[in-house]
Amino acid sequence: MRRRTLTRRWSFWCLVLLAALALFGGRLFSAPPDAEVAAPFSKPFWLDRSLPPTVTADLTPDAPSAEIPWSWGAPSRFFVAADMVADAPGRTILWTKPGGRTVEIAPLKKGVERDGRDMAFKRALGLPPFADGAASLLDERGTYRLSVDGQGPWEGTVRLRLDGGRWGLFGTDQRGRDIAALFVAGIRVSLLVGIMATLIATALGTTVGLAAGYLGGWFDSAAMRLVDLLLSIPMLPILMALAAIWGKGLWQLVLILSIFSWMGTARTVRAMTLSLRDTAYIEDLRGIGAPTAYILRRHLLPETLPLLLATMTLGVPGAILSEAGLSFLGLSDPRVISWGRMLHEAQTFGTFTAGAWWMLLPPGLGIAVLCLAFLDMGKYLEERTDPRLRGGALS
Amino acid sequence: MIAVRNLSVTYRSSEREKRAVLGVDLAVERGRMVALAGESGSGKSTVLMAIPGLLPATAATSGEILLDGRDLLTCSEAELNAVRWRRIALVPQGAMNSFTPVLTVGRHVEEELEVHLGLSKREARERIPALFALAGLDGGLAARYPHELSGGQKQRSAIALALACNPEYLLCDEPTTALDVVTQRDIVVTLRRLVDEQGVGMLLVSHDLPLAASVADRLCIMKDGRLVEEGEPRTIVDHPANPHTRALVGALRELEEAP
Amino acid sequence: MEVYGLDKPMLTQFALYVKSSLSFDFGISFLTGRPVADELRSRVPNTVALLGSSLLLSALLGTWLGIQAARKRGGALERLVLWGGALSYSFPSFFFQLMLLMVFAAAIPIFPLRGSLSVPPPLGGAALFLDYVWHLALPVLSQVLLGFGGWALYVRNLMVKILGEDFILMARGRGLPERRVLRGHAFRMLLPPLLTILLLSLPGVVSGAVLTETVFSLHGVGRFLMEAVTGHDYPAAGASFFLLALLTVASTLASDLLYGVTDPRVRLERGRGR
Repeated sequence: MRRRTLTRRWSFWCLVLLAALALFGGRLFSAPPDAEVAAPFSKPFWLDRSLPPTVTADLTPDAPSAEIPWSWGAPSRFFVAADMVADAPGRTILWTKPGGRTVEIAPLKKGVERDGRDMAFKRALGLPPFADGAASLLDERGTYRLSVDGQGPWEGTVRLRLDGGRWGLFGTDQRGRDIAALFVAGIRVSLLVGIMATLIATALGTTVGLAAGYLGGWFDSAAMRLVDLLLSIPMLPILMALAAIWGKGLWQLVLILSIFSWMGTARTVRAMTLSLRDTAYIEDLRGIGAPTAYILRRHLLPETLPLLLATMTLGVPGAILSEAGLSFLGLSDPRVISWGRMLHEAQTFGTFTAGAWWMLLPPGLGIAVLCLAFLDMGKYLEERTDPRLRGGALS
Repeated sequence: MIAVRNLSVTYRSSEREKRAVLGVDLAVERGRMVALAGESGSGKSTVLMAIPGLLPATAATSGEILLDGRDLLTCSEAELNAVRWRRIALVPQGAMNSFTPVLTVGRHVEEELEVHLGLSKREARERIPALFALAGLDGGLAARYPHELSGGQKQRSAIALALACNPEYLLCDEPTTALDVVTQRDIVVTLRRLVDEQGVGMLLVSHDLPLAASVADRLCIMKDGRLVEEGEPRTIVDHPANPHTRALVGALRELEEAP
Repeated sequence: MEVYGLDKPMLTQFALYVKSSLSFDFGISFLTGRPVADELRSRVPNTVALLGSSLLLSALLGTWLGIQAARKRGGALERLVLWGGALSYSFPSFFFQLMLLMVFAAAIPIFPLRGSLSVPPPLGGAALFLDYVWHLALPVLSQVLLGFGGWALYVRNLMVKILGEDFILMARGRGLPERRVLRGHAFRMLLPPLLTILLLSLPGVVSGAVLTETVFSLHGVGRFLMEAVTGHDYPAAGASFFLLALLTVASTLASDLLYGVTDPRVRLERGRGR
């Protein structure tokens, strides 16, 4: 079971897919990820087909009526809003039931809004205060019709929204946001933080490792003591403190993560440099008077590069997990949608009280799959640079 | 008597097969020393390790290894454990780290006495000085850890350990490599004395032809997994029959005559 | 001003802070208004119980699995250990714990959803103890499940190396029974690095407690640290970091000492060094 070509690794295709989603996934959704699109805690659409779906309809002067087939129980919310340039006197919004009975919703005025839960609206419909407006408006099965009736010009849009209990691939969260859209937006943050933090950390570690290994002496011992020190410090509490002091922004997070994860690379690079430093060809270079910087840049760095690529890939999961952990603890920018943040919100609002497990699974599995993919990719790269490892761990 | 009959060993890995030993016949009697010489990679160590059943799992064997008529190749691990050390002991290569680094060398000897002879810890401890003396060592070294001993001391400790249960046969795998010439001589003399005085039957594996020829009663030469020559050491050195042996002896002569 | 000693010069303030920290007097929490030391005293036992039991269990389970995996290379158990290890490095711990809560506390209510004790706590020593164990069961279980894979992988790698060494072959060649080879020689060699890593992992495990205690709403030091940091409660945060630093230094020191005791080769190097 040896998979040596890149395209035959599952992780390669997994990463390609996730990267494509991160880049173009936003276009799959009509609304931005932080828009409220359906009722809070709507279930995924495939979960329970007896639940009413979420339906929207727009009326314009060109299409002044819309038909809504309905074969479920009452929706949780009935909402009509008019987005008008000006009032249209003489026109009204009408709701026609399948049996032919007509209900006048509202006169077509600028900024008019009607909500089935609204007291004034219920009174206008002639309902008692504790009745459910949506239930009384949708009490039959068949085709309903929403239309703009009357005479006179009008310009604008009348929007109807019936909140059912289902929405999209993954349902909605406590604010009625589409979890699938949030999930796709979260990929970008995880990839960005994971890759940027490891890139910076690798650059830092390589510089320190090369310098320590090649120069030796006091710099080497000082750098290695620093590495030991940083490695023995528990990371998460420090990250928490820095995030609390320094700010919760994404770039601060990337910097904090990279400052605390360059040590492994520095050690590896130093060890490699040490073994290369005394080889004959490097000594020859030194003998003919090549400057140190030249030797480091043109000869030692290229030798360590393939290995670096592997260690870098293996380092990404750590950064992703740290970011997720901090966000989960609520130490991230609340305006930035990330998988860790989604889990934080899932725990704080409702996963357990509302039983909304669909808030939990997509971001959590997303993190796990992304990390495993990077791990597998790193193992693959490691095996390519060091054939002795072939047939090892996960291949 | 240990009789090796038509022994073949093949190492199998997923990529290739290596035939290390091809139809070797060999006999070791008590009170006699047989030397097995040849260049490295000729399969001589494989023959030695095959006798107590210590080849890796990747090795496939055929033929017979008879200990007083009983075939060791068909024995179970438990049956082999009864034979190992009580009847056949091993002195490993000097370069091998054959002692567990976190235990004293004395502890290794005690363990054998406890497991194989059923001695108590105290009885075992009392026997150590005598065993160490037999190997030409001071008994005080038993309290040392392996890394605290010199190469020669370690090799002598290995001999003391091998003698723990008073075995009938001793298999010595390059017991003198990685040691200086004086220590080499001393150890060979010690081994020879064990054969003469204790009546141990010994198989000495060495790539050092003159050394082997000088102490053994019988000399076998291996090349590429086959036994190419066998006989009296003096005869072989003076009148080598096989071209390979001739080359080996010739190279030796040149070395001796060079200065 | 005077309560916090802010009327004194900067250096004096710092000296006073260090002095009082060393005597475990950490001042008064900004958030609760209670002495930080009291707050910590009520929380430390909970965290120790959580971490101690889960670390011990996962180390034991992991070590056993790792050794078995190393003995039977290429077996199903080895594959389990390799995958378990990879998962424990790539699976977000808090997600796994949330899932456990979801399944075993929300969907099938076998375990409590939150807290270290029932509210109100049951009366009587045995009932109180059982209630405590019941609340701790899921957090400990989750930590063990998350932790043993890493241990098993580590032990397996060490053990594969040890079992390939000459002295193991020789111990077998000396006719020692397999049990004795494994316990007396292989495991004896495994012990020094194992103890070291156990001690060195302590500070990191404490940071894991931050997440675990947050997920399960336990009354422990981890969540205290978390609340102190996010609430800018400096006396509390300072105290937490002081304890963490103390733990880091102590465990590093202890691991050094223990390595010297368990591995004679290190003892010698020390002796020469002096």
